[in-house]
Amino acid sequence: MVRSYRLLVISACMVFFCLALAGNASATVELYNKTIEMGDGYQINNYVIDVTDVFSDANTASFYVYNNNNKVKEFLLSTGDSFEFDFEGDAKVKVTLLSVGSGTLPVARVSIVISNYKISDIYMNDIVDGGHKYATYSGTPNLKITKTVDKSEIGVGDLVRVTVTVENIGDDRAVDVIFQDPQQAKFVLYDTFVTHTGQTTVNVGESKTLFVYQLKATESGTYPLLPTTASFSNTASLKFPQASSNSPVVTVGASESLVSAELEFTTTLDKYTVNRNDDIQGTIKIKNNGDTPATAVTVSILVPDGLDFKGGSGIETISGTPTIYLESFGVQQEKEISFTLKAADVGTYTISSKISYLFNNGVDTQLQQVSSDSVTNSIYVTKGKYDYLFEQPLYMYAAPLIIIGAIAGWIFYRHKQYKF
Amino acid sequence: MLNILIVGNGQCGNRILDAINREAFGKKSRFAKFYSQQKYKSNVQTIAINTAVNDLREMKFTKAKDRIHIPHLHGVGANRNVGKHVFDENKTHIMRQIEERGHFDVCFVMTSASGGTGSSFTPMLVKELKEKYDYPVYALVVLPFREEGTLYLQNAAFCLRDIRESGADGIILADNQYLKQMGGNVESAYNGINDMIARRILFLLDALDSEMMMVTDLGDFKTVMSGGAGLATIGFYEAESELPVRGAIQKALSPSGLLFSTDVYEEASRAMIIIRGDRERLSIDEISTEVEKLSSAVGHVFKGIIVRDGELPQVLAVLTLESASELESLYAIAVDAIKQERDKKDRVANVKEVDRAFSQIDGMDPSY
Ligand SMILES: Nc1nc2c(ncn2[C@@H]2O[C@H](COP(=O)(O)OP(=O)(O)OP(=O)(O)O)[C@@H](O)[C@H]2O)c(=O)[nH]1
Ligand SMILES: [Mg+2]
Repeated sequence: MVRSYRLLVISACMVFFCLALAGNASATVELYNKTIEMGDGYQINNYVIDVTDVFSDANTASFYVYNNNNKVKEFLLSTGDSFEFDFEGDAKVKVTLLSVGSGTLPVARVSIVISNYKISDIYMNDIVDGGHKYATYSGTPNLKITKTVDKSEIGVGDLVRVTVTVENIGDDRAVDVIFQDPQQAKFVLYDTFVTHTGQTTVNVGESKTLFVYQLKATESGTYPLLPTTASFSNTASLKFPQASSNSPVVTVGASESLVSAELEFTTTLDKYTVNRNDDIQGTIKIKNNGDTPATAVTVSILVPDGLDFKGGSGIETISGTPTIYLESFGVQQEKEISFTLKAADVGTYTISSKISYLFNNGVDTQLQQVSSDSVTNSIYVTKGKYDYLFEQPLYMYAAPLIIIGAIAGWIFYRHKQYKF
Repeated sequence: MLNILIVGNGQCGNRILDAINREAFGKKSRFAKFYSQQKYKSNVQTIAINTAVNDLREMKFTKAKDRIHIPHLHGVGANRNVGKHVFDENKTHIMRQIEERGHFDVCFVMTSASGGTGSSFTPMLVKELKEKYDYPVYALVVLPFREEGTLYLQNAAFCLRDIRESGADGIILADNQYLKQMGGNVESAYNGINDMIARRILFLLDALDSEMMMVTDLGDFKTVMSGGAGLATIGFYEAESELPVRGAIQKALSPSGLLFSTDVYEEASRAMIIIRGDRERLSIDEISTEVEKLSSAVGHVFKGIIVRDGELPQVLAVLTLESASELESLYAIAVDAIKQERDKKDRVANVKEVDRAFSQIDGMDPSY
């Protein structure tokens, strides 16, 4: 009873197995039925069947079988005989010598039949002129892409350094390799040290660094970094499935406490004592010393009468007041804005600025507003260097000019006279 | 007012001419030409002639129109024969330039005796001038350092002879060898010598054209120069501090004052002495004693006195020579030099004979 049950189980398994095989692998297919010249071979994927000798008198031929350039079988067939050898997996290849013929080169007519193999997996079957030595073997490149991070736990605004390397641990060169490193949500690319574009090749055993960059976390949470992928082919131009890196996980901790934007303003001038009509170069330096970005940063420069505002980069004059407006101003960001004033009248002046900005303190929902004032040191505008000239009658400066002109003319005349 | 032509031939002549033109500005500064005027009393025309354009370019105080370049490679390389040939070819050009300057009362031609260009141009130019014009032509000739080599000595010897034969009215000698006492490197020695010559020439020109008391004039100068063996030299002294005029006269006639080594009391045949300075400092007694001393040994001495308020005594003496033992010894070395050069040429000719030996196998091939 037990025995017949076991028999039943076994036969059921065998049926299942056969069905499975039949579903997966095709049945028997004749790949070739033609002549092969002595010395040539027939390649099926990485196997090559070389016709090494044809003895037309004896109606025999000898064959060597190579797998990836290594000899695995050799056999001699008489016409009508067959030989079967193991192919990839469970597949078998049967070689039957149909006839031999003598020409300039002796030929063997053979039938090559493959069984137990999925025909679509055959990427190569053809005569190889000159036999196995001239066959192109196809190996399997295996790209191992590794993505590492220098820290796995950081806070918002912190930097994490990502390094992506690749190593070919397969047995064939990977060609036409295209790497793709997707953008990472919730992080901004802060700095790039190593990057990679275009197609490349990775040799067997070779490893290289593809990307090194720093990401800045913008929001708290736990984020697996998206894998870097590579599409590639082997040397026989066979495409392989995309290789993918690991996904290191970065946990970005939320800062619980209150945050604030602290903008520091300094206004400096290149000189504080000037002659009338001279220019003054001013520089407004803004820096966010806080731990959250500021928005709607507005600086109004109040220029007193007696000084003229002549312009500056990024400064707009809004209803008579030179104004700087910055939509947002990041943490630790620094900016210098310069402007030019002209000293129009003699006197002592200061320049004051009105400053305001908003920020989110991380706790309250509404934005916080900050405003402040700043005043420069005094500017002393004195009488212009050449002012007295305008107070002099014309001849006072025309006369020296005429004299200088005359002297220059004379020197030039003399120079010409003595120049040989 | 006299019309005076000064020609400088070759590098040495050019440089002396430039020194004269600089001295005429009265200031030592190289920018003097920009703010100063030349203080020639006479109408002085200067002309520099050279085959080497670089020598002309180096001049700083001579007007460009006064520098005449005679293109011939880079000078004539101390070869007087080449120089004469080049002069012949450019004669009309040179003479036209002189013609254009108008009429002159006297002409000075300056040159070194030993180079190529100056030493060959000068005699030929003098000859042309003498044929064409009737004013006196004097050559100022610079003799070489004795150690400058046989070619230079040979050139000097022939050059002097050629100038004598050219019809020059006199040769004023200046001897580099004798003026070697200046010391310093060659360049500064040259400049020192050139300055000495320039100062003397300017002083002389000034004296010839002076309208002061007891003057000497061009006529006197001609007379002095026509005496002796046609050779002359110039002595000069300018007191730098209070010095009796007698001392100044003695210094002008002593080796440190002369351009050429000679014992004036022995070798001079005529002389002209010009004394300049503040009236107070020019003691007639002292002057007379010194002049008499010289004339008792020499013969006639022309004497001129120029009064300049506030100036220290300055004395210029032009001396024609009866004999010049120094020149004789120069010729003695020159004769050796000429022989040496000829021997060298003979040796070179022998080398040519060796060439002839080789030429016997011209066109043949060895057979084996
Ligand atoms: N006193 C003085 N002698 C000079 C000066 N330059 C050259 N000599 C001398 O002049 C001689 C050479 O003659 P140069 O005048 O240089 O020759 P040149 O006439 O230019 O002829 P080439 O150069 O041969 O065509 C040498 O004996 C030098 O010592 C100078 O500035 N002052
Ligand atoms: Mg020269």
